[in-house]
Amino acid sequence: MNTKPWKHPLGQAAIVVVLAYVLFEWGIWLLPPLFGVASAPVPATVVLQYMGTVVVGVLIWVSDSEERWKQFKAPIHRVMVDPRQKVLRTALMVTIPLLVAFMTFDRVRPTVSAPAALRSVHPAPPGQIDFRGETMVLNGLENPLRHEGDLEEHYEEGKRIYVQNCMPCHGDALDGQGHFASAFNPAPLSFQDPGTIVQLTESFVFWRIAKGGPGLPREATPWDSAMPAWEDLLTAEEIWQVTIYLYEQTGWEPRTWEEEGAEGEEH
Amino acid sequence: MRARASSPRAAMIPGFVFAAAMTCALSAPLAAQEENALGRDVYDRWCASCHGYEGLGDGYAATYMLPRPRDFTQALYQIRTTASGQLPTDDDIMRVINEGMPGTTMPGWEEELSLEERLALVDYLKSFSRFFAAGEAPAPLTFSSPTRATEEALADGREVYELIECNRCHGIDGRGDGTSSPTLVDDAGMPTYSADLTENWYFNGGGTVEDIYQRLRTGLDGTPMPSFTDLIDAGVITDEQLWNLAHYVRSFAPEDPPGITEVIRAGLVEDAPLPDGVDDPLWESAEAFYIPMGGQIIESPRWFVPQVAGLWVRALHDGGELAVHVSWSDHSESPDTAWAAFQAQVLSALGPAEGDMEPGPRPDGLYLQFPMEIPEGMDKPYFLMGDPLEPVYLWHWESTADGAQEADARGLGTMAPQGNASQSLVSEAAFSEGRWAVMFRRTLENEDPGDLQFRIGEPVPVGFAAWDGDNGESRSRGSISSWHYIFLQEPTPATVVVAPLIATLLTAGLGVLVVARAQRREREGAEGPDEGDA
Repeated sequence: MNTKPWKHPLGQAAIVVVLAYVLFEWGIWLLPPLFGVASAPVPATVVLQYMGTVVVGVLIWVSDSEERWKQFKAPIHRVMVDPRQKVLRTALMVTIPLLVAFMTFDRVRPTVSAPAALRSVHPAPPGQIDFRGETMVLNGLENPLRHEGDLEEHYEEGKRIYVQNCMPCHGDALDGQGHFASAFNPAPLSFQDPGTIVQLTESFVFWRIAKGGPGLPREATPWDSAMPAWEDLLTAEEIWQVTIYLYEQTGWEPRTWEEEGAEGEEH
Repeated sequence: MRARASSPRAAMIPGFVFAAAMTCALSAPLAAQEENALGRDVYDRWCASCHGYEGLGDGYAATYMLPRPRDFTQALYQIRTTASGQLPTDDDIMRVINEGMPGTTMPGWEEELSLEERLALVDYLKSFSRFFAAGEAPAPLTFSSPTRATEEALADGREVYELIECNRCHGIDGRGDGTSSPTLVDDAGMPTYSADLTENWYFNGGGTVEDIYQRLRTGLDGTPMPSFTDLIDAGVITDEQLWNLAHYVRSFAPEDPPGITEVIRAGLVEDAPLPDGVDDPLWESAEAFYIPMGGQIIESPRWFVPQVAGLWVRALHDGGELAVHVSWSDHSESPDTAWAAFQAQVLSALGPAEGDMEPGPRPDGLYLQFPMEIPEGMDKPYFLMGDPLEPVYLWHWESTADGAQEADARGLGTMAPQGNASQSLVSEAAFSEGRWAVMFRRTLENEDPGDLQFRIGEPVPVGFAAWDGDNGESRSRGSISSWHYIFLQEPTPATVVVAPLIATLLTAGLGVLVVARAQRREREGAEGPDEGDA
């Protein structure tokens, strides 16, 4: 067996299987972020499915030609029968059952986890809300302060409101890393994240600030956000001002109702 | 974003000579500020809301914080590599910008701001004080290399800790409960807590042995923490002993900062009685879970400066009863008259106050919160003591009350103890060397329809709240957590042993069969013509 391992069918099969595993387990998770694309670890059950497919594919390939099949199993056969391979044979016959024992134990041992919680990140907003006794129609509602008074003054006032009220959880840098953030689950939102306020109209942001966790609709489970209902502490003008601060400070543009409408027609 | 008023200061000084003198003193910083447009933009955008547009530490959020934001015009910097009383190096300032001040509201900005922006910011911060313009660049101290944390080093460090009276402020067990602790104020006259050395992840200047040694050498200027370099110079202790002290201080805290787990596992005790007190040795073998706490800033009156930053929770059950052990660092056994003046200082430092902020004796407190029954789905009561529709069931303890009580609540501020006939908790609390330990015990099931019935093998939602009375905390002013779970461990099922055993036997047996068959065929093949197939 002096041929190079990557020229032998068994070696090739092993290399393909190992490479596939590395790709599924770590590649899909860690490579895209290097190019600025978000990714996540592949669930273990999916990795198992993928690996099953790969192994079947490899077996079809090695058994495809008689010659390759013989080559493929020759080393396996030799390990099983050759008197000179006795040490390796014994070692494999001990370690493989032990490995199976460990994997079985890992499957059946009792584990403890919190009940799975489904979460809707952007629940559908109501058409209108009651704000301090007055009805506010959210549909088509723009931030009135964009056309009233001095935007810089609104921004400055929004900054004051933000650091006095929101900063302990949402953080100085609006990244959701405030000094109280670790106490609360679900974690406070990062406004820097491209998946939060940039997706939303300012009226949606107003609704979430005004009504907080207690005002989440039933379908927005689980109903345990620590976000206060700010209508008890802030006026409508103050909420619009802090909304301006969130967008100005992060550099995001709020979604407009025209986009919303266009989007709606496409669907 | 904001129009800056031009400084009227120089113009207001009467007399030509004074004007000239003041111009000399002030012009350097002001000119530096004018030139550093990038530094000013970054500062005004991200820093001024706490530190103030003029660098005075009086931004919008200043009165919501203890410790207060740094006043840059004083040029007093805690975290330095220079001698006590010296200005920091540029690298020192950069380090705090990058990493922030753990344990305070100052975050690290390394990921938020570019290097160019941070460099400009260092220059801009220095421009708030003329001290930086006046002298030469400060020289850092030379620090020796770390020694090894041997048993002897730790023992010697312990002696040094007593010799130079670290315990006066930090306490014998390092929990910040020393006798001088309630008298501490910083240079601005604000009340200051001595650091809890068991939580090194909250050390302002970092929690490694090297960080601790450097703080011992440089002191934390502006705070009561002194430098001990002079003790080395005077021959009272050696440099090596200061390293020993640093190792000893480091040893108060766990190896790694605690991770946050959603589920508290209550271990099953099968061969011993459940603990009946806080000091039962069985607790030492129980798994400890860290629950981080935040201020109650959800509903008014709010509390922005809680002292209970986290709880350690242990739980055990024996199939019939559940015992829960909660411990946390506290500077005092409230109400402690030695802390009355300190409490008044804390309350007056905060503002604008919501509700009654009158100082007065207040107890320490703790509650564990459960739903009335184990929920079927994801639905739980509101995490802040429930609401009128979905009440919560509480185990409530106060340092001034005789034992813990079962209580109900239908929203913040509505906690009401259950009737005497319904009280079924066994509890014990002890305060020792700056640490509260409280134990609760109850049967898993009882006849009381107002109590939660625990079930083994099912996650039960649990939440926490804690109060430090000598910090001015009571009622809605305290620290809270959101929902976690407590899981009462089941007896180990037989499958955990049997399944791997069967799998091993099957695999090994199959392996032996395959190999034996292959070898037999090989022998037969050697006698006859080689078919070569298995």
